[in-house]
Amino acid sequence: MRKVFYFTCFLFLFSCKNKKTEKVIYPRQVGDITYDVKLDNPNFIPCNGDDKILQYFNTGKGVEYRGGKKEIKDLFEKNYTHVKVDESGLIRIRFIVNCKGETGRFRVIQMSDNYEQFTFDDRITNQLLMITQGLDGWKEKENHGTKIDYYQYLTFKIEKGNLIEILP
Amino acid sequence: MRIIIVCLLICFTSNVFTQNCDAYKGHGEIKKYEACKKQKEAYKFYQFTKEYQELLDEAIQIDSTYDNAYWAKSIAYLKSGDFLSWKPLIDKAVELNPQMHLGYRGWCRYQFFRDYKGAISDIEEYERIIKDDIGYCQNGDYHLLIAKAICYKAIGEKDKAIKIIEDYLKDNDEESDLYNYYHLGVLYFERGDYNKALSNLEKQKESNNLADNRYYMAMCYKKMNNTNKYKETILEAKKLFEEGYLLNDPYTHHYDKVYLSQIEEEINKSKRFNP
Repeated sequence: MRKVFYFTCFLFLFSCKNKKTEKVIYPRQVGDITYDVKLDNPNFIPCNGDDKILQYFNTGKGVEYRGGKKEIKDLFEKNYTHVKVDESGLIRIRFIVNCKGETGRFRVIQMSDNYEQFTFDDRITNQLLMITQGLDGWKEKENHGTKIDYYQYLTFKIEKGNLIEILP
Repeated sequence: MRIIIVCLLICFTSNVFTQNCDAYKGHGEIKKYEACKKQKEAYKFYQFTKEYQELLDEAIQIDSTYDNAYWAKSIAYLKSGDFLSWKPLIDKAVELNPQMHLGYRGWCRYQFFRDYKGAISDIEEYERIIKDDIGYCQNGDYHLLIAKAICYKAIGEKDKAIKIIEDYLKDNDEESDLYNYYHLGVLYFERGDYNKALSNLEKQKESNNLADNRYYMAMCYKKMNNTNKYKETILEAKKLFEEGYLLNDPYTHHYDKVYLSQIEEEINKSKRFNP
C-alpha cells in the first residue's frame, strides 16, 4: 500500500515538473531576432542595443522608404523574375533597420495559402531575400528626438510563382 | 467631429473597451472572471512583451475556454506579420466565440495578409451568425460590408463590389464613414463610367478631402478630355498630399492607395496636354 502511495506521489511530482517545462519561453518582444553567427553579418549592429529595438509602426508613421512604398513595389516588379511553379501563399522577410538606415538579421517564414507552413521553391525565396537585402532606402526613424533601431518586415503574396502584392 | 466619431467607433468595436470582467462573475462564470482579471493585468504591458504574453498564458491556464486571451495573444503576431503563429491563436478565439472574433479575423485577413477570399468567407459567415448590423472593422476605417466589397473588387468581382457599397449607402448615414465614396468612385472609374465616378469622388471630397481622391478626379477629367480641370486637379492632388491629406494606415496601406510618385508622374504627363 505504502509503495502504491509513493508511486502515486512520484507520478504527481513528475506531472508537475512536466507542466512547468511546458511553459513557453518568450523573447523580450514577439518577433525579436537575435544575432546568429552562422547567418548574420557581424558588421551590422543596432545602434542602441538589442533591447531597445522598436517596431516600424511604433512611431505612428508606418513604412518609411525613400520614394515611398511604391518605390519598393517598383523595385520588386523590375527585379523579380517569375518562377514557373504551382506554388501560392505568403513569404515574410523580417529584419532590423538601425539608426543609420542600414539593414541586417534577415529571417524568412513561409506559408501556403491556407496558413500552413510551407517551403517555396528556392528560386522564389532566394530572389526575394536578395532584393530585400539590397534595399537601401529605409528611412532613419526617430522617437522623441532620438534615432531608433526598428524591426521592419515585408510580406510577399505569391500566386503560382508570381509576385502579386507586397505588404505591409 | 469626424475624428471623434471614428475614435468612438474604434472604442466601441474594440474588445478591450467592451470587456467587463464583472459580467462573467454575474453569470456565475468564475473561472472566466479570474481569467479576465489576469488579462487585464497583461494590459499593463505592451502587446509585444514577454510579460504580456506570459500573463495571457496564465489566463488560459485559469480557463482554457477564455477566448479573449487567445485573441489578445494573437495581436502581436499579427502586427509582426507572423501569420504562422497568428492563425492558430485567432482560430482558437473564433472557435470559442465566433460572435466576438469572426468579423475581426475576416478584417485582419484582408488588412495584413490580403487574403481576400478568406476575408470574404469570414465576413459572410459572420453575417449569417449575427443576422443584424455586423459593425465596423477594428481600426474603424470601414464598415465590414465595405471591407467585403473591397475584397470582392480585389478578386475581380467589381460589379458585386459596387452593388454592396451602393446598397450600404442606401441604408446608412454616410457621415460616419471615411472612405466609402472614394472606393466607389474608383470602382466606377475603373469600369469606365466617369460621370458616376466623378459624382462619388465629389461626395468624397466634401466629406473627407484626400489627395488620393483628387488624383482619381483628375484622371476622370483626363478621360473626359476636360484638360483644364485635369491639369488643375492633379496639382491640387499634389498639394493635398504634401499637406498630409491622404489615405494613411500606420500598419499597412489602404486598397486604392495613390502614391506621390504616381501624382508627380501624372503632373509631368499633364504638361504635354494643351487646352
